Amino acid sequence: MMNAVEAKGLVKSFGNVMALDGVSFTIRDREIFGLIGPNGAGKTTALRILGTLLKPTSGSAEVFGMNIVREPERIREIISYLPEEAGAYQNLSGYEYLSFMAGFYSNADRTAGEMLEEAERISGLGQRLEDRVKGYSKGMKQRLLLARALMMRPRLAILDEPTAGLDVVHAYHVRQMIKDYADTRGVTVLISSHNMLEVEYLCHRVALIHMGKIIAEGRPDELKQNFGAENLEQVFMEATRLA
Amino acid sequence: MRSIKPLIVKEVKELVRDPKILIGVILMPLLIFPVMGSAISVSQKSVMRAIISASFAVYNEDEGPAVGALLDYLFTNNTVIPIETESLQDALIEFQGTNATALLYIRDGYSENASRGLRGRLKIYANLKSMTIAEAGTTDTVSNLIGIYSYQLSMSKIHRLLEEAGDPSDPTAVRSPLSVSTASIIKGNVLEVPPSSIFNLIISQSVMLPIMVMVMLMFAIQMAATSIALEKEQKTLETLMTLPVGRLTILSGKLGGSIVVAVAGAISYMIGFSYYMTSAFSFAPGLTSMTTGDIGLGLQPLGMILIGVNIFVTLVSGLALAISLAVFADNVRSAQSLTGFLVIPVIIPSIILMFADLSMLPPTFQWILLAIPYTHSIIGTKAAFLGDYFVVLRSIAYIAAFTVAVLYIAARIFSTERIITARFASFSLRGLLKKR
Repeated sequence: MMNAVEAKGLVKSFGNVMALDGVSFTIRDREIFGLIGPNGAGKTTALRILGTLLKPTSGSAEVFGMNIVREPERIREIISYLPEEAGAYQNLSGYEYLSFMAGFYSNADRTAGEMLEEAERISGLGQRLEDRVKGYSKGMKQRLLLARALMMRPRLAILDEPTAGLDVVHAYHVRQMIKDYADTRGVTVLISSHNMLEVEYLCHRVALIHMGKIIAEGRPDELKQNFGAENLEQVFMEATRLA
Repeated sequence: MRSIKPLIVKEVKELVRDPKILIGVILMPLLIFPVMGSAISVSQKSVMRAIISASFAVYNEDEGPAVGALLDYLFTNNTVIPIETESLQDALIEFQGTNATALLYIRDGYSENASRGLRGRLKIYANLKSMTIAEAGTTDTVSNLIGIYSYQLSMSKIHRLLEEAGDPSDPTAVRSPLSVSTASIIKGNVLEVPPSSIFNLIISQSVMLPIMVMVMLMFAIQMAATSIALEKEQKTLETLMTLPVGRLTILSGKLGGSIVVAVAGAISYMIGFSYYMTSAFSFAPGLTSMTTGDIGLGLQPLGMILIGVNIFVTLVSGLALAISLAVFADNVRSAQSLTGFLVIPVIIPSIILMFADLSMLPPTFQWILLAIPYTHSIIGTKAAFLGDYFVVLRSIAYIAAFTVAVLYIAARIFSTERIITARFASFSLRGLLKKR
């Protein structure tokens, strides 16, 4: 089976700052893969490269066999990207926002109306979708954005810190949304987080990133066993000590 | 390009639903200009009423026969306050205690001078209590009354002297032997209108329009810059960039939406301003009765179309420039300060060309001004009024070429990762010095 993502030796520098320093990892089709590490480790840069927003300084990456530098337009057809702490258009209603976004993906196979129905179900916002986004709480906004990212049934959903800044209730709801959707629709999910417990709960496999380098990769239970740790937090601390 | 329409619709909705833009760009011109016009009209009418109904005081020291006719003339149809004191000093003190704003002082010897064929000497004192136009107007009213009386007196004396001498000359010709009238030649046609009136008219109609466009352009620039900065701040631009839609389409949608709102703002500005012109000067219909059409300088349909094109390309260039600059800003505040620099090339040519023609300026200054595209917006509009369509087309071509260059740069920025990574801070002087 074709891998969803294959990143090989990704390097990205911004002037003198080396954000990624030879990052390689593989994401299998239909798995939830977590890229975990502290702030400034290079998670967002890696996600932006796979989301076709940035080009690597060197190295290569493929999404379902398509090269991110040579075929970004084709990749954009099958991915959806949710930036960290993203917002939506404040003066549009939730429904208008989703409708605007669905317009870019609708085709003969799947109409914008079908996507909107799905988004309504995923978000669980009901009648509040008629309200302007500027009246939404942070949690409601994140549910709207996640519904936007998933409603078009991407082959790869790239979610950058999807629960950052959310309260327990909304964070729980968002995690459930991701897990349910990935299980039922067979979508591959690449998620970044610095919440190790969240990643442990959600992801099939994870990669630990520190100072632009992957320091460990594998299934959460596998990693815990290898590092003799009780949780991923301990794995991360041990892995950084050894790196 | 199937995705451009939703992008434009989204942009227009986002902008128009923002109360700051709705009020500032579209509603404010419709409200502020009529209010300003009405305020000016009301105040001017009040001034005129105050001048017409103004009372003035008269202090007379002369007791001879000639002063009686002057006093009869003054007291008829006017509200005159007679002041009777022992000295001019006392008269001035009493005058300041009255409502009158002018005092006519008739000196002793007025009648004697008249009988000896000498000039009668009068003096007007203006009491400037509130420093208003109405006070100056009342003084002018008294001066004019005296001027008319002086003219009539002189004409009757000339008439009598000519009769006595048996001279058949016209008394008017004796008083003013030379009569000068002015005419202007425009595009080969002789018009019986003084050149000063024509220039006032051209300035009021052909210069005001580009200035209005410049003001509106500033609004549009701020609006487009704010819109891009908001997209960056809220990371909606980042999301847009990962959608299956061309980067150029995203840029065009952004630009298209801004143009729609800017044009709506321009129309609102035009309506508001024309209402302002008619209401502000409604107290003096003569000021607005003459149009450029009356003197053969009216806009022909072709000129009107070219002015429209000129304004359109000016707007597009300003918006493209604003979008290109705002890309380097992290947030709305830095976008507004970045685009704030655009005030200089937009406003300076308007101000300079309001007072001077380009050919009057030193050559270096001319070249600098000509390099600024917005200079051509004004030159083009003026030329359209004068029917010089070649100059209009040349101006449009220059602005269009500049716009294409700016759009090309904007498209380049949009097609690279700079749209995500560019930061205003990276252009700081400290950063430049560090690199060295």
